[in-house]
Order: sequence, then C-alpha cells, then structure tokens
Amino acid sequence: MEKRESLMQFIKDGDDSNALNLVKEMLKERSPKEIISDGTTVMKELGEKFEKFEIFLPDLMVAADTFMEIMKLLDPLLQKNEKKEKVKIVLATVKGDVHEIGKNVLGIVLKSNGYEIIDEGRDADPLDIIKAAETNNAFIIGLSALMTTTMPSQRELINILQDQGKRSKFKILVGGAPVSAEWASKIGADGYAEDAFKAVKLVKEIEEKIKRESRG
Amino acid sequence: MSVLRIWEIVKRAETGEFIEENKYISKRFIPNLQKVVKKYGIKYNPQDVITSDDDLIDRVWQAAYEFFLETGVYHQDSHRIIKFSKQEVEEALFNTPSEYMVGEGSDLRRFGSRKPEDERRPFMLLSPDITYDEHDHFIACVAFLKEPTLDGLCAPILEEFMGRKIKSPTPSELGGCVMHAMSLREAARLVGRPGVWFVAVGTAESDMAQIGVSNDEWGVRHTDGRLSPIITEFMTSNSMLNKAVHYQINGNISGLLAGAIYGGYAGGPEGTAVLQTSYNILGLMMHFCQFTQNFPFHMLYGSNTGREMLWIVSTFSQAVAKNTHLVMTSNGFANAGPGTDMLFYETAAHAIASAVSGNNIWDIAPARNKVHNHGTPLECRFAAEVAHAVTKMKMKREDANKMVNKLLLKYEKDIPTASIGKPFQELYDMKELIPIPEYLGQYNKIKEEVTKMGIDFIY
Repeated sequence: MEKRESLMQFIKDGDDSNALNLVKEMLKERSPKEIISDGTTVMKELGEKFEKFEIFLPDLMVAADTFMEIMKLLDPLLQKNEKKEKVKIVLATVKGDVHEIGKNVLGIVLKSNGYEIIDEGRDADPLDIIKAAETNNAFIIGLSALMTTTMPSQRELINILQDQGKRSKFKILVGGAPVSAEWASKIGADGYAEDAFKAVKLVKEIEEKIKRESRG
Repeated sequence: MSVLRIWEIVKRAETGEFIEENKYISKRFIPNLQKVVKKYGIKYNPQDVITSDDDLIDRVWQAAYEFFLETGVYHQDSHRIIKFSKQEVEEALFNTPSEYMVGEGSDLRRFGSRKPEDERRPFMLLSPDITYDEHDHFIACVAFLKEPTLDGLCAPILEEFMGRKIKSPTPSELGGCVMHAMSLREAARLVGRPGVWFVAVGTAESDMAQIGVSNDEWGVRHTDGRLSPIITEFMTSNSMLNKAVHYQINGNISGLLAGAIYGGYAGGPEGTAVLQTSYNILGLMMHFCQFTQNFPFHMLYGSNTGREMLWIVSTFSQAVAKNTHLVMTSNGFANAGPGTDMLFYETAAHAIASAVSGNNIWDIAPARNKVHNHGTPLECRFAAEVAHAVTKMKMKREDANKMVNKLLLKYEKDIPTASIGKPFQELYDMKELIPIPEYLGQYNKIKEEVTKMGIDFIY
C-alpha cells in the first residue's frame, strides 16, 4: 500500500501513533503542505460519508482527533506564506439549556471542514459568549437551543449585541430542534441551519460573502 | 427501589471517579459501546425490522447490561462517574414492581410491563408532544381527553404565557407551567374524566418549574406521572437529580425520559438499540424511576419511523420486555404532519412495532416534533386502534414484520421530504372539537386500506 493510502487509513482508524510515525517518514519525500492536503481530502471524504450516514459520529470523531494530532506536528513546519489562518467560530448552547449534543456534532463537522471552534459549552451566559468571540477574534457565533423555552435566549444575545452597539461585528447563526428559519428571521439572526451539514454550507456562504464584500 | 438509595446516589455523585466530560464520551462511552456491540455480535438486518430472533434479543440485553455496569453514568456538575454493582442492579430489577395502578376513581388503569407478542392490551398514553397557541391550549387538552382509547395523557405544551414567549428558568416558565397544569385539571373535569392519569408538565424544562408545579389542589398531583430526563448520552446533573429526588419524595410514578440518538455517539442501529435498552436500567438505578419513556431518534430527521429506527424500537423493546419486568413506553416521532396519509402510515408502523414487541404506547409526535400546533388527537386515536387490533389478533412478530415492511413501502422513500401537514386548528372543528369531515374521511380511508393489508380493527 502506498504511504499516502496508509496515512488515509490510519486517519480513518483514529490510529494516532502509526499516523504520526508515517507522517515523520513521509516528510523525507513530501512537503508538510502536501501531507496536510492529503489529510484534508480524507476528512472531506469522511464528512460526506457521515452526511449520507455511511459512517457515524464516532468514526468522524476518531478521524478528526488523529488529523488534529497530525496538524500539531506539521503546522510548525509550514512556511510563513503557507500558513492559512483558520476561521474561528464560537459555538454555545444558550442560557437555561443543558442539551449540547447538537452543538457538539456541529463542532466536530466544522472542525473536520477546517474551522477552529471555540466551544462555550452549555447553559452559556450571553456575555461570556460575546466575550469569547471578541477575545478570539471570531466573527461567527452559533447558538443552539433544544427547548422552546430556551429559544428566547438566542434573541437575548442578539438584543444585547444591539444594545452594546456591536451587532454588525458578528454573524449570528441559530439552530436546534424547535428552531426554524421563521424564528431566525423574527429575532434578527443572520442565518438558520436545520442540521450540521447545512450549517457548514451556511458558514461557507457567509465566509464567501464577507470575502466578496472586503474585496469591494 | 429503596428511597434510601436516593442519598447513596447523591453521595456517589460526589465521590465517584473523576473524568473530564469529553474524555468520558471519547475514551469510555464510545469504546465501551462499540466493544459490547462487537462482543455480542449484534447485527442490524434491514429486512428483519421486527425480529423473531430471540437469541439476538438476549444478546442485546446482555450487551446493554454489561455496558451499563462498565460505563457508569456521568454527572456533569461534579465531573464524576456514578457506578453500580451487579448485585445492586439485580436487587433493583427483582424488587421493582411489574405494574402500577394509575389514575383515580373510574379513570384507574393498569400500567404494567408486557412481553413480546403479549395478549394483554398495551397502556395507551396519548401525546402530541408539541406546543400549541396559548389561547387554544385548553381546548386542545379537551380534544385529546375526549379520545375514548386514552388511558393517560401527556398534554399539549405551552410556548407562550400571558402573550410572551416562555423562557426557562424564569418566572414566565413557572407561570406557564401553572397554567398548563390548571388547564389539564379543568379539561379533565369538563370531559368527565377527573381522575385521568397525567404525565405532566411538558412545559417545564427546569427543576424549579417542575418542583413548583407540584400541588394536589391545582397543579400536578402526587398521583400523577412525572418525567425525569437524562442528558444525552448517559449523563445526569444536579438539576436532573433535583427533579428525580422530588418526584420520589413526592410519591409520583416517574419515568426516565430517554432518547438514544441514531448516528450520534451511539453510532449505527446496533449501538443505538443497545444504548436505548441500557437506558431502561439507568432509569431504575439512577433516577429511581418506575418506568422508562423511550424515544430513540434519527439524528438528521428527529424521527423514529424509518426502517432502521423501527428495528431499534422493536429490538430494544423486546430486549427489555423479554429479560425483565420493567415498565416502559415507546414514544413515536413521525416525519409527516397531520392531515397527510404518510403520518397515518408512520403511526401504524410505530404502533405495531411497539405493541408486538412488548411495549406500551406513547403516540405520536407528528412533523418531527418541531412544528407548532401540528398535532391532533386523530393520529393518536389511530395509533391506539392499531395497537389494540394487533394485540387482540395475537399478532406474531413474523407477521408484524411483514406488515411493517408493507407500510414502510408506502412512505420510507418520502422521509427526507415529508410534508409538515396542517395545524390542529385547520383539521378540527374548533367549537365541537371533533375532526372536520374531510379529515375524518381521510382517517377512514387509511383505516380501510390498512384493514386490507391485514389489520383486523376491533371496531
């Protein structure tokens, strides 16, 4: 089996030890950038399989963990001009809500698509969420609510941002079982996604839009 | 289970093994579940939706039991694992009652354990599991309580109180819960079923609201049922234990509210079936529950009427029913909404899979349990009539499998694009609280169609 294929298999299996040993060996022949590209291809492929339920969350989790370990090894070896700053996204389950599996699934899927996640956990205070976004220079905030009685906390964060005069600095995306596009529009959110996969597409659209706007 | 055990659990929450939450999931929960699925050779067969393979059923039970003992339950506040010994589980499984009498007076009903292919009628808890407009909440309660097949009700839920959206955990939540409980009592008296068993109140999310609404005069009575949720997957917290301890001290019959997520940490159908089975042990041991309210669901669709989901429903139901005398319910989550043919097909499939597999019925949440006002008593009536029919027919699992496969052919391809249907207010005469003629006609048409498929309805 070719080294590239072996690496892909180790990532899929979540085999950190063999993956890292192989990467060290591969570095003699290939650049860090090329190896990262191989890993990204695997993660993309696994993400697509997960979307079709050909694999499940644990499979994606182990692969993402191994890929992260590879990144830790390769990132310092990249040339300055090869380093691409990751887009940071703050995720949180809103105040009053302890259900965070949906938010966690989204975090894993976003990570496997190359985003950096700042996870503010569950029952998160809106001020803490905003502070985390500011501190980490993240312009996208994803808010999850599982209960109809906790959906108002999504609106509360948007209202606070408005009152602070910071609303335009952030894109607020909302999700969760009872949440709908109608609710998102009603509370003035920037987007709603029905599931983690649609959320990734939404984030990419927002990213593109911001890039276009910045180009003028 | 001994009341004294409550305080033992609280102690274990403070003294159990420390572990970070993400490590509990990735290094303990997931590998342990994958290990038992492999060890016991559990395999999903898409054609065998309602399996008659007793050996498989026993292996699912053994896997669930071993998984529970080895994994323990995570306490999110203390970051510690609460574990139980085999002896403690055996003691609890032996001593827990196999049945309860619920409700009062002429509304008294048996709520008990069943076996696969059991000829005893399943307990019929009707529930739309969805929120309704504040001004229609009371009449929605009346409409459900009018249903003759109803043994118990988990009522329509409130989303607004005094014109404002209810927010948890604030006084608006408590106010909404009080209103919810008062509506139920008034509605029950109005339809002549003052002693009917309620499982209430679904409007409450926080421990504060659940505890605050307990009142024998105007609120949730100590004889009513309560729900004690688990946090997915396999986690509890002080807030959850507060509810559980309150229900136990109050004397309520409480159920663990547990839905294993297919595609999530449990992985595929096999892991999800094992996990859902395990939740029935967890409820008894951890939250002192008298029953478990089971609702495994699909991570993407939020439903449990697809092929793999019905296999999970039937398999966990059989595993618990065959190996224990634990009391449980099976909660249906359909993809389509009210007023669609698809919802009736999904309802029938879920009711058959549950009843023939030894479960009681808790049906049915339409439109993926997410569309306001989209639930009516008629689909719940249909679930009850199908479940009673297959029980009276003494339907065998093999025949139930053929029947469910026929029903799946009617709707499974449409699951991703299922229609949300119409709201309660468009399908019911809002003065007489009966289905409008067109809606009743649709129900009769489907009933006739399902009769031709081989369901011999009682009336």
